[in-house]
Amino acid sequence: MPLVANYLMKNSSTRNRIISLIVVLILIIGWELLSRSFNSRQILPGPVDTISSLISIVGKPDFLSSLGITIFRGLVGFLLAFACAILIGIPSGMNPGFEAGFKPILITIRSTPVIAIILLALIWFHVDQVPVFIGFLTMFPILTINITQGIRETDPGLIQMAHLYHIRKKRILTDIYWPSILPFLFSGISTSVGFGWRSVIIGEVLSQPRYGIGSMMQDAHSYLLVSEVIAWTLIAILVGAAFELIIRGVEKRSTVWKR
Amino acid sequence: MSLKLENITKSFGERKILNQFTLEFKPGSITCLFGPSGCGKTTILNLIGGILTPDEGSVQGFGEEGISCIFQETRILPWKTVLANVVFPLMDKMPESQALETAKKFIRLVGLEKEEMRYPSQLSGGMKQRVSIARAFAFPGKVILMDEAFHSLDNALKYNILDSFLQIWKEDGRTVIFVTHDIGEATRLGQHIVFLNHNPLEIIRSVNTADETADSINKIADVLYVLNK
Repeated sequence: MPLVANYLMKNSSTRNRIISLIVVLILIIGWELLSRSFNSRQILPGPVDTISSLISIVGKPDFLSSLGITIFRGLVGFLLAFACAILIGIPSGMNPGFEAGFKPILITIRSTPVIAIILLALIWFHVDQVPVFIGFLTMFPILTINITQGIRETDPGLIQMAHLYHIRKKRILTDIYWPSILPFLFSGISTSVGFGWRSVIIGEVLSQPRYGIGSMMQDAHSYLLVSEVIAWTLIAILVGAAFELIIRGVEKRSTVWKR
Repeated sequence: MSLKLENITKSFGERKILNQFTLEFKPGSITCLFGPSGCGKTTILNLIGGILTPDEGSVQGFGEEGISCIFQETRILPWKTVLANVVFPLMDKMPESQALETAKKFIRLVGLEKEEMRYPSQLSGGMKQRVSIARAFAFPGKVILMDEAFHSLDNALKYNILDSFLQIWKEDGRTVIFVTHDIGEATRLGQHIVFLNHNPLEIIRSVNTADETADSINKIADVLYVLNK
């Protein structure tokens, strides 16, 4: 026992991981006990019920279409937001006048409750497009603001050096500004994808397209299949975590110079 | 071709930094601008480099020369390797193979051939300054501007790097204009030392180091120091 304690003291990251694991285990056991003590497992299913729902969901033929289409919607929303953020964020960072023009729009979008946007989008768009639009609007301001900040924080000394050496404008953009904004860009992507993914699902819950994680959640909800709602939630969380891992991986690869 | 600043006036807001300032540089030699911090030496370099334009007067002869710079904060790109940093300003000026060859030659001359593929975060301060020296000499130009380039290095390292700078320069022979407030650096490197005083910037004395003893140069520097106390 002292040996184990000694090892844990030395290796704090392992120790912290074990602490996290223990807390998660306690929560899961607590959840199971709570649902057992509750008189209706229909209303409060335990982890065991949820897992069995999860397995049956994954086995259904519709599962991949729902998962795939939601990811696809998120991706389309993200790519649109990313393209617009680049087009607006880069000139905003270089020109305060340009930024002043777009700032009110970005702030308005950011402060509008998602639900209000969804209600309007339901009137304006086809149900399949609503989640994409919501995802776009959630991610666009975050990405733009981060890119603008990244441009503004670019070392002016490097820009001056490039001017002295008569480096072409295009290469100043690709070789100085772009690498400078990468850290800001990745932090923007990580935050916006986190929010965007959730908004896409909210959009699906409310607009009810044929397939989609949100649609499936709404279906399960209307039949009071609580364990299925929780199972879909778990799937959404796992996919969100996978996105985060992918983003971190890409970031690590594109910033090798940071050591 | 004469390299000259003629009757230049330059103000920043209310503050007049240069007033009818004239200075000529001898092509192919090393001129040191020596003076107190904040007197406007950097403004002179920025006028020569074209970063600033004069309010009045003219900068002559530098336009067509191709200008390299060595800065105190090195200004090398953290996301590029040593080799890519030296190649960076060459890419638009010559074919890629020639750019690579030139860059490698000067990296070898500053003694960093083993570090070619390293990133700046893996280099010491002195090594980074060597990268910016290699970049300056590799660039096809006739003029090198240096702004307190060796200021942040400790003395032993500084003289070591100054000597390798001089060695490369002897082969290369381009016009060097450098700004410093360190008289040791000025005498080690400069063939001409221009002593400057500020408010507005004026030339106190201009000497050829070959004609003077180290003592007399130090005396001028001391007088300048006392003047600015």
